[in-house]
Amino acid sequence: MAKDNKGYKAPKVKFDKVYLKRYYQLYILLALPLIYLLIFKYVPMWYILIAFKKYSIVLPVHKMAWAKHHGMEFFIKAFKSKDFIVALKNTIVLNLKDLIVGFPVPIIFALILNEIRIKKFKKVVQTITYMPHFLSWVVIYGIALQLFAPSTGLVNLLVERLGGTSINFLGEPGNWVRTYIGLGIWQSFGWNSIIYLAAIAGISPDLYEAASVDGASRFQKMWHITLPGIRSTIIVLLIMALGNIIGSGFDRPFAMANPTVLDKAEVIATYVYKAGIKGSQFSLTAAVGLFQSVVNVFFLLGANWLSRKFGERGIW
Amino acid sequence: MKKKVLSILLACAMTLSLAACGNTGGNAPAAPAGTDAGDAATPGESVASELTDGKFAETRHITVEVYDRNNDGGSDPTNNVYTDYIKKGMLEKHNVEVEFVAIPRWTETDEINTQLAAGTAPDVCVTYSYPTIKSYADMDAIIDMRPYIDNYKSELPNLWNWLGETNLYWNSDLEDGTTWAIEAKLANMNRVVTFIRKDWLDKLGLKEPTTKEEFHDVLVAFKENADTLLGADANKMVPYSVSYDVGWRAATLIESFLDPNMSDKEYYVNGFDDRKICQNGTKEGVKLLNQWYNEGLLWKDFYLYGSGDATEDDMMKAGYVGAFTHNWDYPWRNGEDSIAANLKRLVGDDAKYIAIDPFEDKNGGHNKFLAGPIDRKIFFPSTNDEPLASMLYLDFISSPEVIEFLQVGEEGVTHEVLEDGGYSIIAATGDAIQNSGMNIDYTITCNGLNLTTEDLTKKSLAHTYAGIDPQDILDADKIAKTDTRIGINVNVGDIEAESGAGDTLTAKRDTCFDNAVKAPVADFDATWEAGLSDYLSSGGQDIIDERTAKWDAVYSSENIR
Repeated sequence: MAKDNKGYKAPKVKFDKVYLKRYYQLYILLALPLIYLLIFKYVPMWYILIAFKKYSIVLPVHKMAWAKHHGMEFFIKAFKSKDFIVALKNTIVLNLKDLIVGFPVPIIFALILNEIRIKKFKKVVQTITYMPHFLSWVVIYGIALQLFAPSTGLVNLLVERLGGTSINFLGEPGNWVRTYIGLGIWQSFGWNSIIYLAAIAGISPDLYEAASVDGASRFQKMWHITLPGIRSTIIVLLIMALGNIIGSGFDRPFAMANPTVLDKAEVIATYVYKAGIKGSQFSLTAAVGLFQSVVNVFFLLGANWLSRKFGERGIW
Repeated sequence: MKKKVLSILLACAMTLSLAACGNTGGNAPAAPAGTDAGDAATPGESVASELTDGKFAETRHITVEVYDRNNDGGSDPTNNVYTDYIKKGMLEKHNVEVEFVAIPRWTETDEINTQLAAGTAPDVCVTYSYPTIKSYADMDAIIDMRPYIDNYKSELPNLWNWLGETNLYWNSDLEDGTTWAIEAKLANMNRVVTFIRKDWLDKLGLKEPTTKEEFHDVLVAFKENADTLLGADANKMVPYSVSYDVGWRAATLIESFLDPNMSDKEYYVNGFDDRKICQNGTKEGVKLLNQWYNEGLLWKDFYLYGSGDATEDDMMKAGYVGAFTHNWDYPWRNGEDSIAANLKRLVGDDAKYIAIDPFEDKNGGHNKFLAGPIDRKIFFPSTNDEPLASMLYLDFISSPEVIEFLQVGEEGVTHEVLEDGGYSIIAATGDAIQNSGMNIDYTITCNGLNLTTEDLTKKSLAHTYAGIDPQDILDADKIAKTDTRIGINVNVGDIEAESGAGDTLTAKRDTCFDNAVKAPVADFDATWEAGLSDYLSSGGQDIIDERTAKWDAVYSSENIR
């Protein structure tokens, strides 16, 4: 940050009585979110220790006994477990596919939407595409079953009426992954496009006018003005997405999985739920969660470093 | 000036709230374990002085867990006719005040976890999973019940009569007798039977099938005559419905392929999974299902609908399902919303399911493996400082009269007395509504109809389902009790490989069963082997090995019954 702000010097602020008297209300307002962070994000970090200790339901953390192998017992156990490795692999594969296929969609959608000149139509399209964002995955899976079930799904009935054979969208691992990615995109692209639309709105209209005068076509304007204009937004979002590459929501894979696709659908979150929470292995769960977070932090740092290397600002 | 005071006040409030939060995080859970364990360490010594005629001199207070099922139109689980009856009885008989604590039925484990950690768990807790209780014990969160069971024996005649050594000592440690939980008794051990649409058989002029082959032929006949049976809905027909939980929902079929005379050791060693994935013979059962699936006789999309999904029940209610295997009384459960009642409303008066026993085993019988005579497990958290009063509570609800009242309620309100002396259940209203079938949530030491005399139980059993032909129920009961083999208590100490493995293995087992059933016939063997080897390598084999070793260490022969 400091480098970028070379030309600009912030006025020096004196933290004296006058200053505090004038602005204390702002600080009190700021205190609320800070307290929230402290209580719900920082205090619980103390309990990371559970990953290195033998969990007891009745003892406070500092009284629990250390786990074997210098506290690493549960990390060793996790990495020895073939199911954890499978879950780790699935998490990365599903997230990467999500990223590769799903990341460009809201950008393209925002670009297209931006070219529409009929305001009303644009608004209607936007509202409709936002809507799935507010549906829970349980509901979405319910809808998917109605549409894609091999014998009763609407889509498959249609396929059969047209003389084809029904496609097993949900019960065959390869197809399941495609359905999973597809539904993920359907659920989120409208909502994710908001931030790009906002960025596009911030591009100076002068540029477009100048380009028109120079005889640029629509596509050329998109390519040479709009896209570069939102480049830094794209980079920031990409960094954040990469920072979550081995993290994942629980409800999407959990709601969509069924026993026949489990070896593709078991991700870390669902593994932790089954092995840890349902099986009361809280230390193991904490160890896996900690590992996940640490790897995510490295990905985040790496992506940020890369983007700065390529001359972008990064997120800090 | 005012502003200044205000800001200081606000700042103080903030620091205080912060400090308070920090404290609760660190200190709260510390209280229970150490202190109370000391108090409870000398049970039995003061029995004589504490009780006169079974009564405490001073009124004691205990809390008791009760499931909250949140039924539509149910009664308050902590305050209704039945809780009043228990409270009054306990106060009169033992001078103990009872308070019920509602625990949501479907998230009970999470809730009890939290309450144990916070030191607020009820004095008398109940759950279905012994491994969960064992993990509590490993964390010093619960107390050893053995001293109370033994030392207060003379004060607990009903409990000892009802549960006996079998259930009281079921979980006792082999060496020191430590008992973390006692087992409720399963009064009615019926497990699963197969049901078939009687009206469809009649319409097509078919007999009730008595062998696998006949059963298969009936299914084929259903499918071929779908137009006659269902008209416009013919394509919705499912001749034989099996859910994603194949091992349970085809249990009688699978068990008919197991050796009825297999040794206790073999049954135990391969028996960690209660769906019998590791037992010898299961594969053949699933193979038959696989053939039927590929002939179009099973529900095509069965694996997509998970636990708790009502789709399959709805198909039964709508009359699309020809046959299915389930709990012995499944079509009649839930009164007005039962499968039987819906079928009558939606399809017609003669539409109904009857029980059949079509899967013959290699000896020509109809082999069915039952679980042991055990049900829920009762345990006391270490915060329980009234263990004697809690034991007296268990004694009270184990007395025959109390069980009978809780199960059938008052005459004219929840039951009528029939000509032969048996009871017939009628729909109750208001506070007399039973939130669970036969108030199983209050009779925590007993599951299944158990009235004061055996004769009365028999006469009443057929009338416990309002609006159902008693003969249908008696038939199902008889089939469920045919050629059964009751589970025995194999107590060889803790199997380490089992701890925490249950849920991962359960998921693997479902994957194995489901993939095998839906595979093309030619791929069946490969699919089954792949699924089973995944199950074994994820911990299944370790369990088998450890069980074998521990069996050999404890028992000298292959059979212990």
